[in-house]
Amino acid sequence: MRLLSVELTRLRWRRAVLVLLVGCFLVPVLLLAGLSWNTRPVSEGDRASAQEQLDRDVRSPDLAREIDRCAKHPRQYGVDPADPEAACREMMAPQLEFYLYRPELDVASEREGTGLGVITLLVGLVMLLGTTFAGHDWGSGSMSNQLLFEPRRARVWGAKAAVVFLTGLLAAAVALALFWGGLWLVAGSRDLQATGHQWQLIVHSALRGSLLIALAGVGGYALTMLFRNTVATLGALFAFTIGSSILIVGILGSTATRWLLPTNFYAVLMNGYEYYNGASEGQSCSSGPDGIMECTNMAHLSLGQGATYLGVLLVLATGLSLWSFQRRDVP
Amino acid sequence: MSQLVIEAEGLRKEFRTRAGGLRVAVSDLDLAVPAGGVHGFLGPNGSGKTTTIRMLLGLASATRGTMRLFGVEVPQRLPEVIGRIGAVVESPKFSPNFTGRQNLLLLARSIGAADSRVDAALETVSLTGRDRDRYRSYSLGMKQRLAIAATLLKDPQLLILDEPTNGLDPAGIREIRDTVRDLGSSGVTVLLSSHILAEVQQVCTSATIIGNGRLLASGRVDDLIGAGSAYRVGTPDPAAASRVLAGAGLSAGVVDDWLRVDSDGPPEDITRALAGAGIYLSELSPIRADLETVFLQLTAGDTLGVTPEQGAL
Repeated sequence: MRLLSVELTRLRWRRAVLVLLVGCFLVPVLLLAGLSWNTRPVSEGDRASAQEQLDRDVRSPDLAREIDRCAKHPRQYGVDPADPEAACREMMAPQLEFYLYRPELDVASEREGTGLGVITLLVGLVMLLGTTFAGHDWGSGSMSNQLLFEPRRARVWGAKAAVVFLTGLLAAAVALALFWGGLWLVAGSRDLQATGHQWQLIVHSALRGSLLIALAGVGGYALTMLFRNTVATLGALFAFTIGSSILIVGILGSTATRWLLPTNFYAVLMNGYEYYNGASEGQSCSSGPDGIMECTNMAHLSLGQGATYLGVLLVLATGLSLWSFQRRDVP
Repeated sequence: MSQLVIEAEGLRKEFRTRAGGLRVAVSDLDLAVPAGGVHGFLGPNGSGKTTTIRMLLGLASATRGTMRLFGVEVPQRLPEVIGRIGAVVESPKFSPNFTGRQNLLLLARSIGAADSRVDAALETVSLTGRDRDRYRSYSLGMKQRLAIAATLLKDPQLLILDEPTNGLDPAGIREIRDTVRDLGSSGVTVLLSSHILAEVQQVCTSATIIGNGRLLASGRVDDLIGAGSAYRVGTPDPAAASRVLAGAGLSAGVVDDWLRVDSDGPPEDITRALAGAGIYLSELSPIRADLETVFLQLTAGDTLGVTPEQGAL
């Protein structure tokens, strides 16, 4: 417990960690602000300004010339030659709706939209937090000094990992609560609330996301304890993300999607994920009862399968990291 | 025989080289450091001093051999005794972005020491006024002092200092030397690794000399240097004195305006012979080898960091 408190203090005193934590809270706030702005309801002011723009465009000589040309050659424009001028005007003249189009906020669909984006960015930030936390100890050489006071290496490794996990979990929980809480308020103010079931899905997704974010931090930490260098870890992560995709696609071809990192990541967050499976023979698509197209070459990856994939990666990284830290000489 | 604080038997450390070969840094080294006093640990650069210290402290694993600190087998039972050991290995290593105080606070809290202990340690090494500055802004001397302050957080019974005066100015060296001497005389056992032989000779009561990872000599500093086997004799007439001494069976030769007398016997042999001839002495002092001479004789032929045991696995 004492060591946990020491590591928590060490983490708290690191400026880079504080910057990353601020980033964790800025990300949901900024994305929420962007989402709210892009889906804001059309106001009277918007309507008036659109009308002004419409009037300007309708009076444009270019438009008049184009309509005139259309009226003279209706067949070229594919309009009814019976009353070409009216038909051309109807086809070419802008309507007020053109200037007022703005998507409406759909809270439920944001679980797979901006919500997923927030979690992805938080995964990156917390992973960086775990990486820089361990990397600093190796870079400054202070790890050996720490071991002169607490030589039980497994304890040192565990205390640092626990602190990264708890900090990541707390940061993720707060950040996701900020985002979804803010969205709940925004949706409420627009009378666009999601249903209870939809909110339940959102909460479950946010809980799984928080756990995933915290574990990503532990993964970054574990890899840095293995490579003993922040840059090396980031390089390895980048190489793995890109390289593994190329390798998997190269080896497995069209069936590779199931083994790609993002597919499994989405499966965990979305409680299952439909992905394109090129291996299916005789592709056929048909319209389902709800009107959505369903294709036979889509496959389902369950939450359990995705979690197993990511879990194996994490166990490999942490196991190797702990084993190496206990055995290798410390500079 | 006094109790041994540090014991190592048949200690060996091998490193794999990038070319796939093997480099032996420490080879079958025996080390015995008695309790109390300051024990010098000498050797040329690359002779295995730091590697030995790092193995004792659990930072590096030994390929072979046994080690004990305070009679306890290490590294297996190192946690039982680490609280009694303060150590500075190579250069001081702290977080550069933390203040000196923050660095010490983290170490103190990790062993459950009160924060007030940090104040005391900082005061001991005269860093109180600069303790809230970032470590990276410290001079090398201040960094060394902070490292020594860190060792004092534990109230150690064994202090291991690896080249503690590296990079210090003369005043800093003197300060560290005085601190080490005070600690040694206060009952703390100090293992002082250094290649500054004058420093070791001034401070240490016993020493171990290694070269190429092997033990070359070990014992009390006086014994290592050896008893005086020659004397410098001053008289008004060195030539006459030389003749008298030769008559007494002593080998003497005139050097400038004094006499060098080679003798394994006591100095009374010289005074008795000269006084009997009516020649009185103005000076009589033993000519002793210094530690540097002994060290250079023992380590002659050592080449830095290269061992005769190199070879492919």
